[in-house]
Amino acid sequence: MNFGKIFDYTLIYSTIRYSTPILFAALAATITQQADILNIGTEGIMLISAFVAVCVSYYSGSWLLAILAAMVIGVLMAMIMAVANLKCKADICAIGMAINMFALAVTKFGIKQFLGTTGTFTDPKIVGVPKIHIPAFDNIPFLNKTFNNWSFMEVFGIVLVFILYHILYRTVWGLRLRSVGRFPMAAETAGINVTKMKYEVMIISGIIGGLAGAHLSLGYTQMFTENMTNGRGFMGVAAMYFGGMNPVIAWIGCLLFGFTDTVGNRLQGYGWPSQFVLMLPYIITILVVSISLWRHTASEKKLKSSVIPAKKVKKGGIV
Amino acid sequence: MKKQTRKKWLATFLAFSLLIGTTMGCSSKPSTASSGTGQNSAATGSGKKVRVALCYSGVLGDKSFNDSAHAGAVKAEKDFGVEVKELQSTQSSDWESNFVSMADAGYDLVIGVSSQFEDIMKKHCPQYPNVKFAILDDQVSGKNIMSYKFAQNEGSFLAGAAAAMFTTKTDIKGINSQKVIGWVGGMDVPVLHDFLVGYEQGAKYIAPDIKILHAFAGSFSDPVKGKELTNAQYDEGADVVMNVASGTGTGVLEAAKERGAFAIGVDSNQDNIYPGSILTSEVKHVDVGTYNVIKNVVKGTFKGDSVNMLDVNNGGIQLTDMSVIKKALGDKFPSDITTKIEDLTSQIKSGKIKVNHYQGFTG
Repeated sequence: MNFGKIFDYTLIYSTIRYSTPILFAALAATITQQADILNIGTEGIMLISAFVAVCVSYYSGSWLLAILAAMVIGVLMAMIMAVANLKCKADICAIGMAINMFALAVTKFGIKQFLGTTGTFTDPKIVGVPKIHIPAFDNIPFLNKTFNNWSFMEVFGIVLVFILYHILYRTVWGLRLRSVGRFPMAAETAGINVTKMKYEVMIISGIIGGLAGAHLSLGYTQMFTENMTNGRGFMGVAAMYFGGMNPVIAWIGCLLFGFTDTVGNRLQGYGWPSQFVLMLPYIITILVVSISLWRHTASEKKLKSSVIPAKKVKKGGIV
Repeated sequence: MKKQTRKKWLATFLAFSLLIGTTMGCSSKPSTASSGTGQNSAATGSGKKVRVALCYSGVLGDKSFNDSAHAGAVKAEKDFGVEVKELQSTQSSDWESNFVSMADAGYDLVIGVSSQFEDIMKKHCPQYPNVKFAILDDQVSGKNIMSYKFAQNEGSFLAGAAAAMFTTKTDIKGINSQKVIGWVGGMDVPVLHDFLVGYEQGAKYIAPDIKILHAFAGSFSDPVKGKELTNAQYDEGADVVMNVASGTGTGVLEAAKERGAFAIGVDSNQDNIYPGSILTSEVKHVDVGTYNVIKNVVKGTFKGDSVNMLDVNNGGIQLTDMSVIKKALGDKFPSDITTKIEDLTSQIKSGKIKVNHYQGFTG
């Protein structure tokens, strides 16, 4: 076996490519978790948006319109969750699961109803998200294989990480949002409209979830297949836990998933048993979540022993 | 307070009804291919119309195995006026209940499409002595069961040989100098290994020093994973990758198109999905098997406990004639491949070349 061939520079772009769908899902989960809403409906939101994106792109021939439509449907699904959770006080996990199952069924129905086929839909008329090609890199193999032909969404995903980081940790809105998540009662006392804040993050989460779906069906591939998310939304939630609600660390978690999977894909080519290799992403998920939970409980302990949380939140409320 | 509890109840009710609605949508979705005749009247056998049920371990639209079986059923429906009902599901938990419900509903013939039905049929078929059964792509013994098997290893042998020759034609754009070819499968099941054994043997027959990469996606319906595995094999120097992966395979073919490299189709003729990117397809005539078993029931020639082999010799397995890629590549197309494949085909037919089976796979 040739290790030099498995761990070469083409691994960099493969990792980015594989981790981007998970990254969008992770960011969608991160922003709601900051407001203490566990968004496991990301998977379903992704699947429906992926379907809508393909539909709109196929019929209109515009990828921009398709992404917009995906974001709209993402927000719509997120709003169903938000209303059920915030207004009707339904358990967020149950609602999330319902959204996931609903997405599976409704896309199965839609693919037959609107696209006239079953299972998989591919067509040359589907316009994908353009790739960024830099002709100057063409003759340098390293730059060509590493930085050329990135999908527009792959670049945007990375930009979005830092945008979210900035919003969460460098703006007043972000500070208030975090206080809502930590201690809603104190935030309320400080004059923050907690419910409004939660609706706002659900809308943002829907937009990002919509992007995640659109990327899967128009950026990564140009097709729609039943259940094409295949648990990527859940992996995003795991990455969110890994990051402890910090978008940058969550991104690192996503890259870790992408890296293990790409290396696994290459190892299979050299005769490693598929059963073992296919297990890797899940083992990594379990490890990642255990480590992050361990870290979480450790920091919680520290917090409890030193200061009362209310004091921290109040400081946030005044700003 | 009272208002709040009522709201809570309403929310629970809404969530619950959504849940029920979706789970029902998820599970088996019977779809009638014929012009919906009443099915509830369980008139067993003796009616005018022969009623046939096909149970899939997946969904239609894979442009591959399942669609091929569907095509055979549609043809039989047209030719013999039989009533066809098709049950699809990607959930393995549904397959057994789908199958049993069709046997219960008094269909004359119930077909298990794919080897996934082997255990289910072993378990349930003896309980329905008056119903005729058939399995495609596997073998189950029983007085009321007809089995249709495919010599997929022979077709893969030809596909492997074609790939091994094609990877040396470096003047074609997209072919590198390395002698490496790839193979991507769906789930890690014996039938797929049978494909792989033939593919490797065929490639090594042409070039003993060739390197063959192979991988399983672990699913028949994850094109994203299929695409990623294929890209990984292209990164490792492969330029022709064969897919044996149903829905996952659409990702394999798309990767070929996107990278400007080549893929090989499977089960159905997939050459036209991305013209110019697909070298050839190993056609497994599942449609012929489906059509034949229905014909046997209609004509009264159904023979229980029989195994029918569809192979290269009787045309049940073949490679496409590569006319699509020939057109796309123009005069760059190496015509020695087609002549060599014809030669190999006749050698397999005459028994001069013996293609191996996967160890333990009953040939």
